[in-house]
Amino acid sequence: MATENFIEFNIRKRFTGFDLDCEASFGPGVTAIFGPSGTGKTTLLNCLAGMTKPDEGSITVDGRTVFSSESKTDVRPEKRRFGYVFQDSVLFPHKSVRDNIQYGYNLTPVGSREIDLDHLVDMLGLSPLMSRNVKNLSGGEKQRVALARALAISPKLLLMDEPLASLDARFKGAIISYLKRVVRELKIPMVYVSHSLSEVTALSDDTLAIEGGRTVAFGPTRSLLGRPALAAVADYAALENILEGEALPSQDGASTSRIRVGEAELLIPAIDAAPGDAVMVSVRAGDIILSLEAPQKISARNIVKAVVREIHDLGSQVLVFADVGERITVEITPGALADLSLMVGSDVYLVIKTNSITVMS
Amino acid sequence: MDISLILLTLQIAVVATVINLPLAIGLSWLIVKRRVRGSFLLDVLVSLPLALPPVVSGYFLLLLLGREGPVGSLIRDILGVDIVFTWVAAALASAVVSFPLMARGVMTAIEGVDERLERSARSLGAGALRVAFTITLPLAYRGIMAGVLLGFVRALSEFGATIVVAGNIPGRTQTLPLAIFEKVQLGRDADALRLVGVSIALAVATILVHNWLLSKSRTKD
Repeated sequence: MATENFIEFNIRKRFTGFDLDCEASFGPGVTAIFGPSGTGKTTLLNCLAGMTKPDEGSITVDGRTVFSSESKTDVRPEKRRFGYVFQDSVLFPHKSVRDNIQYGYNLTPVGSREIDLDHLVDMLGLSPLMSRNVKNLSGGEKQRVALARALAISPKLLLMDEPLASLDARFKGAIISYLKRVVRELKIPMVYVSHSLSEVTALSDDTLAIEGGRTVAFGPTRSLLGRPALAAVADYAALENILEGEALPSQDGASTSRIRVGEAELLIPAIDAAPGDAVMVSVRAGDIILSLEAPQKISARNIVKAVVREIHDLGSQVLVFADVGERITVEITPGALADLSLMVGSDVYLVIKTNSITVMS
Repeated sequence: MDISLILLTLQIAVVATVINLPLAIGLSWLIVKRRVRGSFLLDVLVSLPLALPPVVSGYFLLLLLGREGPVGSLIRDILGVDIVFTWVAAALASAVVSFPLMARGVMTAIEGVDERLERSARSLGAGALRVAFTITLPLAYRGIMAGVLLGFVRALSEFGATIVVAGNIPGRTQTLPLAIFEKVQLGRDADALRLVGVSIALAVATILVHNWLLSKSRTKD
């Protein structure tokens, strides 16, 4: 497998008043297609899926050309074996949860069934729902079923169109942690369309940022955040650090709970979780204070030691990537950067109020 | 005599409906799903018999199926029989006139199925035909049945085209509406009213089933 060029495409598609003209290549990890709404993200995804036919260009996935205007190749969607997850699940309403999940599984040649159905159902926590009618599921449950249905075909590639956009925050965290598990355990390459930079940074290895149907920036998500081209289309102040933590023992009846994120311990609003449970939390990059010394006599409950890994001065705002074993993005003003004379490698303290941390699961 | 009259009427309407259903589904598919070139023309063609006087449709059929007509003479050459003025001609007349009602119902039902469900099924490995039989048709089923019943009531009450192409031959091509017409012409009001009663009963029963199916399909979503 050519790792750097798992997916390669160069396509053009004209609509009235809108052109998609995009070229990129991704590795086999998680790739985000990021951009504001109405910029062609979904069109691009549909071209990959074979549901929209580009006017010209080519798409190659894992060495197999699925579309080429030159050689008149256009592999039908059912022959591509790319899983597809829609924003609002789109489950088959006349089938049970089990039948939804088995629909594609049964159509997958036995020799290609690499993912075990029982394991998948178990991994996504769907066992208790299997005989339920899909109409009586919550939004988060529906999305898990949609994910299982798409993964059941052992797809070569999983395409997701804003799978979190229509979910409440509490479901979002759960789906993100399930997605991370899928990435970790099944290692299925994903292309993930999102207009939320927080989700993109939480989930993706690579990012393709597009606007108006054109590539704005492309590359590893980590390095992309600091690029001025991306800053122009993204709102960094609203950027949330979505972090996966592990619950630690806490006192009964306490108004706060403790979790571990990387090497840091955080006090978060009280949750109902047993020690060892995975807990998803989010903190806005703009809500974190950087300090060179551990502040004393301060009401904020979290003072976490970290190392500065990267500093991106974008003119009106500065992004600092701090390392606590997990990467935490902090947004500060250029003035603060100058006053603290922060350098890559500096030791800093992140000051975070308990109530600035949102529990997502 | 009433019983055989009712049976013949039902037979003609059922045959007309059975002929129409695959055509209605196929055409709806071309127009709604495939959006074939010229589908707006197809759309007009489908609805045309609804807008024309049934007599005109009947006359076209007569020209087509008659002894000298292109289809009529062909059938005569092959099978050695005439179609005009038989119950088969009556069924074809009913089919033509009731087709628009059924086709429009079927089209609406198929159009009402969320396209993304079909695209999901495609992405899961189902070919177009399998998607049709496992997703689209099961989900459109009630709407399709409603269209079928609407076509069926129209076929039951067909008069104008039938009388032109099949005549009004008691026991052979005479259906309920034609029989009522005959009784009225002969001034046999009691007989006419009795048949009118039968006619109303059949129509009400079909409409009730139709409405029940539609209300079911609405609560389903």
